[in-house]
Amino acid sequence: MSECTNCFSSRTCPSADKPLEAFIRSLPMETSHHRTEGQSTKCGFGLQGVCCRLCANGPCRITPKAPRGICGADADTIVARNFLRAVACGSGCYIHIVENTAKNLKNTALAKGKIRSEESLYRLAKELGIDGEDVYDLAVKVADEVLADLYKPDDVQMELIEKLAYSPRLEAWKKLGIMPGGSKSEVFSGVVKCSTNLNSDPMDMLVHCLKLGISTGVYGLMLTNLLNDILLGEPEIRFAPVGLNVIDPDYINIMITGHQHSMFTYIQDRLLEEDVVAKAKAAGAKGFKLVGCTCVGQDLQLRGAHYTEIFDGHAGNNYTSEAILATGAIDGVLSEFNCTLPGIEPICDELMIKQICIDDVAKKKNAELIPFNFDTRKEDGDRIIDELIEAYKNRRGKVKMNLLPEHGNKNTLTGVSELSLKKFLGDSWKPLIDLIVSGKIKGVAGVVGCSSVAYGHDTLTVALTKELIAKDIIVLSAGCSSGGIENCGLMTPEAAELAGPGLKEVCKTLGIPPVLNFGPCLAIGRLEMVATELAKEIGVDIPQLPLVLSAAQWLEEQALADGCFGLALGLPLHLGVPPFITGSQLVTKVLTEDMKDLTGGQVIVDADAKSAAEKLEAIILEKRSALNI
Amino acid sequence: MKRIFIDAHKCDGCMSCSIACMNAHREDGGDSVYTLDLTDPKNQSRNFIKKNPTGGYIPLFCRHCDDPDCANACMSGALKKDLATGLVKYEKEKCAGCYMCVMNCRYGIPQPDTSLHYMVKCDFCEGKDGPSCVKACPKEAIYVKEV
Ligand code: SF4
Ligand code: SF4
Ligand code: SF4
Ligand code: SF4
Ligand code: SF4
Repeated sequence: MSECTNCFSSRTCPSADKPLEAFIRSLPMETSHHRTEGQSTKCGFGLQGVCCRLCANGPCRITPKAPRGICGADADTIVARNFLRAVACGSGCYIHIVENTAKNLKNTALAKGKIRSEESLYRLAKELGIDGEDVYDLAVKVADEVLADLYKPDDVQMELIEKLAYSPRLEAWKKLGIMPGGSKSEVFSGVVKCSTNLNSDPMDMLVHCLKLGISTGVYGLMLTNLLNDILLGEPEIRFAPVGLNVIDPDYINIMITGHQHSMFTYIQDRLLEEDVVAKAKAAGAKGFKLVGCTCVGQDLQLRGAHYTEIFDGHAGNNYTSEAILATGAIDGVLSEFNCTLPGIEPICDELMIKQICIDDVAKKKNAELIPFNFDTRKEDGDRIIDELIEAYKNRRGKVKMNLLPEHGNKNTLTGVSELSLKKFLGDSWKPLIDLIVSGKIKGVAGVVGCSSVAYGHDTLTVALTKELIAKDIIVLSAGCSSGGIENCGLMTPEAAELAGPGLKEVCKTLGIPPVLNFGPCLAIGRLEMVATELAKEIGVDIPQLPLVLSAAQWLEEQALADGCFGLALGLPLHLGVPPFITGSQLVTKVLTEDMKDLTGGQVIVDADAKSAAEKLEAIILEKRSALNI
Repeated sequence: MKRIFIDAHKCDGCMSCSIACMNAHREDGGDSVYTLDLTDPKNQSRNFIKKNPTGGYIPLFCRHCDDPDCANACMSGALKKDLATGLVKYEKEKCAGCYMCVMNCRYGIPQPDTSLHYMVKCDFCEGKDGPSCVKACPKEAIYVKEV
């Protein structure tokens, strides 16, 4: 008998989103949720970070009988090297994003293109101390200064950071000697350090991780948001639909994935122009719609007030992307970065979905590469549009629809940013501070980062969020965690019922949910701006705030770079699973304990929602009493 | 009666079985493999993966032999064949630390413990729900069979 190779496990991982879980389980195709079972045996050496494959003598693995690799590297060196590699890669990803964003701002300004928020430009320019002759000149100068910093050598400190970071933090970083040099060079020296038989000092490598964290946070996160605000428009608070219900099969639907929103601006506008809509109509559709997925979808949702016509809503996070495609109603995937899962490829093939990639760093195997080039954006844009229309014509009628119109909800609060929130509070942080002081809101938790599936899709993220809000801790979210939390309904005003008495009252009075959605993982930078503003207002340093972070279901190396920023800021950072470090007692101790005395930060690992929430609450209470509140 | 059987050609030397065995017998109360101390010699695996000089790997697991060299050599009665379960069992209290079992097992399974007073050997994960090594093997190179 020949072995059956076509079938796949009918068991899928649990999801916090039960309708989605049932939908995925019923699919006639394989998804990541199915593959978790086949990958459930994890390598213990890998989990602990004590496997080294840096040279041809390897892989070397640390065991009680083999405490050193062949070269002599011990568990501490191997773990720190692996960790630094991951953080350097993650930082590189975010720096790529801010670099492209700055370039796009510059090119747009040089071409006297659309600057959607001049207000944001003037605000940022003022903060950075940059003057210009007109709005375009100013935009070019801002972009140039950002790029100049990114391109500095690693022994030359970046400049804008002095104006963007909170001064008590700058002081602390300088004292520790962790002010980063040029962002790209820091990534470069990071990867050099962790190559074969170079650095073996775990402390030196961990310090490098903090440097990378700072440059990632201030440039990759904060600045990307601020530059995008200029190009794409500022977030405005509003209610929007989320989940698979946003997909309207009457349109030519384009699922967008990635992190670089500014690459879509041209095509986004073009899709609404009369001649393009006419083409869509001629093909039998009502027009075009963008369906949000991953962080770029979150970013579009955040700024959705400016894009109500073209943007249908955010359908789901990274590990919902396969399900979104499986509805059959998506005609093309336009991707520019992660998280564009390789697992979408066979689904796209089967359902005749056109894959187009506009940034080669995220080139997908089956995708056509049409790299975004500002100068040829018009021709390229039209070519992309024509290909998508072609795909629509080829596949519709042949591919069965499998929609889930009841999935998600129609009233998720979105558009929260450091600016829109302050505006909402009456142009002042005082109301929020008063609520915290009064204890109605015990503290703030940023539940951020990715979504993973190996131990359940969004299960820990959503369970932890529920625990936190029940303890009167308001949750601010950013990243794919947002996608899961919103699809589970925790960002609707009705979710106030799940909050503790104090927070519930606040939510009901203001008509807001107990979880505020800041959008993409990039917006972790916005959370940090909120933290800075609160700290400034109260007159304390960031580590003193009753504020905690959780990247409960961190997935990627980028999340580890973000996490290092959190640590540099001096914040407690909860993780559901350890970042492959537990094989080294030294590295584990530095990250979970000693860091408290260095930056004020600390890693807390706990896979259980209840006990993790208790630990985070205890930290918040401790910080409250230190502030005498 | 159950025994562990070995398909040596399927083994890729990943040592997941050894980690699982160490984790199943750790004494610090932890159970997550993340926190198993891989630098502590007290964490001894009761199974061994040896490289086969002619290629591939040789997984070495206790056979719980019908005519056990170890128990036959054991003078103090610490090692005994349990006729009901078929397992070769070890009673620490009776062990004299003479290591005759270590010298006699033809598969090299019994090992001196780190205190050099006792021995350690596969207990078929007694008290757990089946052999931990078998559950951890991603290749199905080891499996449990009724004999
Ligand atoms: S982590 Fe190392 S030991 Fe484990 S499977 Fe990967 S290469 Fe092998
Ligand atoms: S660098 Fe050292 S520890 Fe790593 S594989 Fe080579 S010999 Fe082994
Ligand atoms: S220790 Fe050796 S001799 Fe004793 S039962 Fe196991 S395999 Fe047989
Ligand atoms: S059955 Fe248990 S004790 Fe025996 S080798 Fe396997 S894991 Fe170790
Ligand atoms: S777990 Fe299986 S494949 Fe891995 S070393 Fe052990 S017997 Fe071989």
